[in-house]
Amino acid sequence: MKALKIFLFEGKHFARNPFKIVALLLFIIAGIYGLHNGANLYKNQLVEIQKINQNIEKERQNIINYYDEGKTGPQARPWVNVTEPFWAIWYSSTYNFKKPSPTMVYSIGQAEQYGFYKKVTFSSSPYDADMAEEIANPERIQNGTLDFSFVALFLLPLVLLILIYNIKSYESEQGFLPLILVQSASKNTWVFSRVLFYFLLIFLSIILLLVYGATLTNVFTLTSGILGDLILISFFYLMFWGVLYAMILFRGKSILGNTLQMVGLYLLFTFIIPAAVHQWISIEKPTNLMTDFIDATRDKKQELYDLPNEVAEAKLFEMYPQIKNTEIAKDSTKNLGALNDSFYALTNQLMKESIAPIQQESLEKNQMVQSTYWFNPVTYFQNHFNKQSGTHYQDYQQYRNQIQTSIDQQIRALVLDTYGGVKVDKPKYLDYLKKFNNDQ
Amino acid sequence: MWTIIKNEGNFLRRNKILLLLSLGFVLILITSLLMGNKQVQQQSLSYETAKEHIRGQWESIKEMNPHSAAHYGTYVFKPSNLLSSLDEGVNSVTGNVLRVEGHVQNEIVHSEASQMEVVSKFGKLKSALLLQYIVPLLLIFLAFHTVSSEKQSGRLKLLILQGAKPFSLVIAKTMAVWLYGIALLVLVIIVYAILNLESITGEIVTRTFLFFLSYATYYFILTGLAVFFSVRWQNATVALTSMLGIWILWTIFIPNIMMSSVEKWHPLPSRAEFKAAMTEDRSKGIDGHNPSDERGKELKEKVLKKYKVDSISQLPINFDGIRMQADEDYGNIVWDKHFGNLRDVQAQQKASFQLGGILNPFISLQNTSKGFAGNDNLHHQEFLLQVEKYRRVLIKQLNDEHAYGGSKSGDWGWKADNTFFKSIADFKYQPIALKTVFSGYLIDVMLLLLWALFILFLLYRGAKKIQVV
Repeated sequence: MKALKIFLFEGKHFARNPFKIVALLLFIIAGIYGLHNGANLYKNQLVEIQKINQNIEKERQNIINYYDEGKTGPQARPWVNVTEPFWAIWYSSTYNFKKPSPTMVYSIGQAEQYGFYKKVTFSSSPYDADMAEEIANPERIQNGTLDFSFVALFLLPLVLLILIYNIKSYESEQGFLPLILVQSASKNTWVFSRVLFYFLLIFLSIILLLVYGATLTNVFTLTSGILGDLILISFFYLMFWGVLYAMILFRGKSILGNTLQMVGLYLLFTFIIPAAVHQWISIEKPTNLMTDFIDATRDKKQELYDLPNEVAEAKLFEMYPQIKNTEIAKDSTKNLGALNDSFYALTNQLMKESIAPIQQESLEKNQMVQSTYWFNPVTYFQNHFNKQSGTHYQDYQQYRNQIQTSIDQQIRALVLDTYGGVKVDKPKYLDYLKKFNNDQ
Repeated sequence: MWTIIKNEGNFLRRNKILLLLSLGFVLILITSLLMGNKQVQQQSLSYETAKEHIRGQWESIKEMNPHSAAHYGTYVFKPSNLLSSLDEGVNSVTGNVLRVEGHVQNEIVHSEASQMEVVSKFGKLKSALLLQYIVPLLLIFLAFHTVSSEKQSGRLKLLILQGAKPFSLVIAKTMAVWLYGIALLVLVIIVYAILNLESITGEIVTRTFLFFLSYATYYFILTGLAVFFSVRWQNATVALTSMLGIWILWTIFIPNIMMSSVEKWHPLPSRAEFKAAMTEDRSKGIDGHNPSDERGKELKEKVLKKYKVDSISQLPINFDGIRMQADEDYGNIVWDKHFGNLRDVQAQQKASFQLGGILNPFISLQNTSKGFAGNDNLHHQEFLLQVEKYRRVLIKQLNDEHAYGGSKSGDWGWKADNTFFKSIADFKYQPIALKTVFSGYLIDVMLLLLWALFILFLLYRGAKKIQVV
């Protein structure tokens, strides 16, 4: 019997086995459900961003009206003066967004563990409390959302197992294996062709699901070939399980023994190894309770405020040498006000220094995770899916970096314009908006 | 029946593969307990250090204006629970640090899950992971052919001829495999007890006992169902694949879909909506820093009348403290309304999820496991509530000191001394009374018991229809 004939015959066998058909259908339904979950989160985040943008427009228009009407600020807050850089920047309504990628349809990843929008002022930090994730039931987050990556990574090995678990062993137990071997070119070709049928069947299902997902969020508009990468990575993942299971089938003779081994491998790679790695990292590096960051936000910040003006000013001049010779810096009647307004530059520097060890610790944790990839493939594939979906830890780290850049931009403008004696008018305010909000 | 159970036990003992598998599994279970315990110890140490550090800072305030102290605030860290080494529940996804300050009820931040990339979809290697996902599979593998193999070998006919009743036989087969699961469960409990001998309290013993009972009932359900399939189907493979299908549906598929669905049935507001609604309600109240507000005027008149004076400057106390406390009181009404709504919606979600136990006893098991371990959302919400109560007491003490401590209105430079700050008690978390926890999970316990009765009924029916030949 030729390999192709065996392959095609397996198709008939599959078509006559309602149990296997139901298993595959359930897998596909779960995939579609998962894709819709991802697409819903993507759309919800876009809607939320849109709503925030509408509010931002209103807030900004209010400030622009002050300029148009020759007012300095809201009546109830007489101390506000939007012609000063300090207040103009404060009221620039700068938001930073972690815009969802259309590929979020494939993996929700860590998207529900972080916030995706933040109002940024010169007093902000990327670790502020408002960086908290969207409101959600923690038990649901703990259970995880059934997204496409869950289906591809955790249900795929199970459906493959269900489809191929009794190949060869069934015939062996029924006693007609020798009869088949007489008709077949070789035992290995016979087993391989049958496994290959299911391998391709699942791979085809995965491709169709990926393409279907792409239609939900316009993944096709992306030019970076992410869809191709996901098809490829799914192929390799399927190959990983296919090879493992096939090895068991080639060697094993009993259905029970084969199933036991396959389930054992499934549990080992999807549950035990990732869970043990997670536990190990938690022991080596317990959850950071952010005491250093807290110290920076309170006591160390206070120490800065307690510095003599000359010392604080010298620190500021060190950071911005160009302001040292400005008229305001030299004018003893004005330099104290300018220093007070610019103090955020010093506190920002302090916050950045306190954040660095936190980020270093996270980096080390990630390196620990990555060092296990060679024996912990499921975690590798999960993180690969997350990266391609823009929901990986690194994507949120970049978002934090983007926030820090935005804070730095505001502070730079605040210091330079305050010491430069800039009077903010409507064009200057619009210029601020353009400068601080180039991602919106 | 006991003879059959004993025989089954002997059979299991003689099975070398099973012995090896059991040995390997016992090693993994013990490792999970050791690692779980170590991790809880590390986290507790980290918690104690952070707690002492923050308390030390508070107690070392030499002198400070009470309102400045309210802004300085303090921090509360979520403590680890001893039973976290068995089931850590929601702890890795909830935040750990909560800022306590004036004017605002903050949200808990800095979860463990947000501090690194994804490692394990099913959490850490805790006993609960093994007991929920892996022991059931072992039981399925042991039970799926217990009766069918007897049928195929002809032993069943022999046993019946010797006087064994089919129902007794089926029950005995179920019990034999179930006892294997119980043995693993007992092992976990014993090792856990040995590792935590010094810290065990009556409360922990009761919680662990309830934890044990939930798992024991679930194992009976699963084993009984596998034996029922073995009775009903001639072909052991069909029984096995059916049980595997049920395992996938129960443990992976349904809980996930169910939890996602209940969040759609009872939607929570988005963060932006939630904040906007609170700001809106808050703006209706007095502004803590703005005495020109309408409510501020009313309050001012009331206080002036009480002290029988004409102006704030004549007051023997500091009106700012009273005004700020009034603002806090109004704010508390707003927080209670909105945070209360969040808790209500989450309670509705939980109630709907618990009903999922009708279809899937694994849902009931998951609920009781993390609930009795004290690491579910109910306990998390209680922790948040206790912190908020503490915040209110703390801020009231600060505002009262500001008002009645000896300063006059407008005197923002006045400072309270170190004795005052030291006199303010630190936050202490009191776990929920077991009675409350039990009542919250009564439905899950009932559903597990109903499932057990249903399985008994199935076994009875199955035994009645058993085909001996």
